[in-house]
Amino acid sequence: MRAFPPFLALRYLLTRRINLLSVFGVSFAAWAMIVVNSVFTGFVTDIRDDVRRSTPDLLLTDLPHATSYDSLRAALEADPAVAATAPRLRHHGLWQPLQVPSRMQRSLESSQVDFNHMEGGFVLLLGIDPLREPAVTGIRDWIAGGMEPIGKHLGRLGPQGSVFDEADPKRRAEMLVPDELEWRGRGRARIPRASQEEHVSSLPGVLLGWRRAYVWPWLQQGDPGDLLAAAFVDDANGKPQLRTHRVRTAFAGWFATGHRMFDETQAILPIETLRTMLGQDHADPEAIALVTDVAMRLRTGLAPGEIAAAKTRLRTAAQALLAAGSAPCSVLDWEEQNPVFLSAVSHEQTLMRIVLFVVMIVAAFVIYATLHMMVVQKWKDVGILAAIGGTPRGIGTTFLLCGLVVAVVGAILGTTMGGLSVHYLNDFNDWLFRTANVELFPRNLFDLQQVPVRLDPAWLALVACTSVGLALVTAVVPARKAARMNPVKALSYE
Amino acid sequence: MTAPVLAARGITKTYRLGRQDIPVLRGVDLDVGEGEMVALLGASGAGKSTLLHVLGLLDPPTAGDVLFDGRPVHGLPIAERAQLRHAHTGFVFQFYHLIPELTALQNVMLAGMMTTSWLSWWKDRRAAKARAIAMLEHVGLADRMRHRPAELSGGERQRVAIARALLVGPKVILADEPTGNLDSKTAASVIELMFSLQAERRIAFLLVTHDESLASRCHRVVRMRDGVVVHG
Repeated sequence: MRAFPPFLALRYLLTRRINLLSVFGVSFAAWAMIVVNSVFTGFVTDIRDDVRRSTPDLLLTDLPHATSYDSLRAALEADPAVAATAPRLRHHGLWQPLQVPSRMQRSLESSQVDFNHMEGGFVLLLGIDPLREPAVTGIRDWIAGGMEPIGKHLGRLGPQGSVFDEADPKRRAEMLVPDELEWRGRGRARIPRASQEEHVSSLPGVLLGWRRAYVWPWLQQGDPGDLLAAAFVDDANGKPQLRTHRVRTAFAGWFATGHRMFDETQAILPIETLRTMLGQDHADPEAIALVTDVAMRLRTGLAPGEIAAAKTRLRTAAQALLAAGSAPCSVLDWEEQNPVFLSAVSHEQTLMRIVLFVVMIVAAFVIYATLHMMVVQKWKDVGILAAIGGTPRGIGTTFLLCGLVVAVVGAILGTTMGGLSVHYLNDFNDWLFRTANVELFPRNLFDLQQVPVRLDPAWLALVACTSVGLALVTAVVPARKAARMNPVKALSYE
Repeated sequence: MTAPVLAARGITKTYRLGRQDIPVLRGVDLDVGEGEMVALLGASGAGKSTLLHVLGLLDPPTAGDVLFDGRPVHGLPIAERAQLRHAHTGFVFQFYHLIPELTALQNVMLAGMMTTSWLSWWKDRRAAKARAIAMLEHVGLADRMRHRPAELSGGERQRVAIARALLVGPKVILADEPTGNLDSKTAASVIELMFSLQAERRIAFLLVTHDESLASRCHRVVRMRDGVVVHG
């Protein structure tokens, strides 16, 4: 490179304040790309973590009606990739506390309450084996975490659910709440109870997602509630008949996975209770260990390829055990278990990145406009440079360097400001809330303690390189124009 | 006899205006010898400036040859022509044509950067600056070198332009009405400067002018009319 392009480019830039506009444009675009993407990546990562937390490693599903866990368990657990399995039974139903305090300061019985799902009521039932479930999911952590969001959002901390701490496996299998809690609950609901010393818990426990605490904030462990489920059951003639089943349960505590949909809709109860409701009474010797799914935990350290191979093996093994002609079953990893939700989040992130790139393109147009203006204003200089020996290439390089410097300075400023903004985003959000009662990111809306920001170094590098690259590309056009200018016409330009 | 430092052989230049061809130069022959002061006279539209641009390799001729030291140069690659224009000729324009963002010193230094690589120039920057300062001192602008063109008078600007043209030691200066934009007193001082430089450095000057008195001081007067040399 000749000596004059950098010498002249630097002076053009330093003496023309309009170039600050280009620097600002690139900086702003880079800043916006980093901050918005970091916040979005934080949200997405948190959402994915929450979904992951609520989901087993693998789920055998799409099983035919009346599939028994006993027939599948040995085959699944024989696979070298599988560390543990647990049966799952999904259904839907209604759950309602027996006594609901009304606005009239009196209690209503459940029969007097509207089963409007917006008011509680409707639940997706998830029957689990409390003795096996902790081996495949973090259900103990879900319960331990249940009190935190309630305390944050509703301003009080209730006692944490303790059904998984029960020493007696039989009681644990039924998720029975401690005798004293159930005795008190019966008292609050005004249903018969023995004396406190003689009372033994007998109502199967139901864990509710913490979001129902908005509807039933007064609910305490041991409070009785009625669970109602309906299912088609074949009658003696083999014709399906709709049967309803009602069972009295006790509220056993809140759980929180962080996965909003899961915490909003699910009620977890002992699988045997649900089986009984669906016609498979465990006291009946002919009853089967009914499941709709089997949750599995994989051994740690498996590579993605090994997991994919395990899914194929497990599906084949399970299919072989199902009745001939059964529809194909599926083995889903945690992402496949939530495909719509995760794909929606992913698409949103992609769309957001596209929008951000549009911002960057706008910044590139600002560079183009200012450089083009500079070339037009420096028309005569092009002729002067040619007259004193400048080559078209050197003249073009002068203007290209102007674009490069603008891009590099803009990218450095933008990425630095972006990095700092991301680093201090929560401090700034807190300060803004304290001083002006304004929240840039309403955390309560998303159940977040802090704005989840994650600065991805690869994205930072991509933004910096794209800023420089795009700015250079747009600088090429005015630079070429300058290089191709006829020096005689340029000299006579007024 | 040595070859002229600058020569034109049968130069024609035709511009196309819409569908019409406008001949501006019609077979111009011209020699400028080493250290020769040649005045180029002619009415407006006679083709003086166009000839100057063609001779300075800023504009290609439609036909004919331009020779630097006897060597035809218009067929050379663009980079080589730029190199020759830089080393062999210097331009002085009526309207000075200085870069407004640069100081007088920087404008002169710029001429030394046109064909040097960035690295070489950086290594030699102190010497390069010293040469530019010496040149400005030589044209009487020792105390004005930190000023930008807008802060200089017309005469001072033209002196800067002359210093810039002289920096790399060209063999010929092509001056297009160098005093046309100056008052008579300033013009006289600029003319004196050019004559003294010519005498001192043996630089050839091809001076486009309307000033008969100035022309009469030159070694030779070339008159043009309607794109042809009528008296040389």
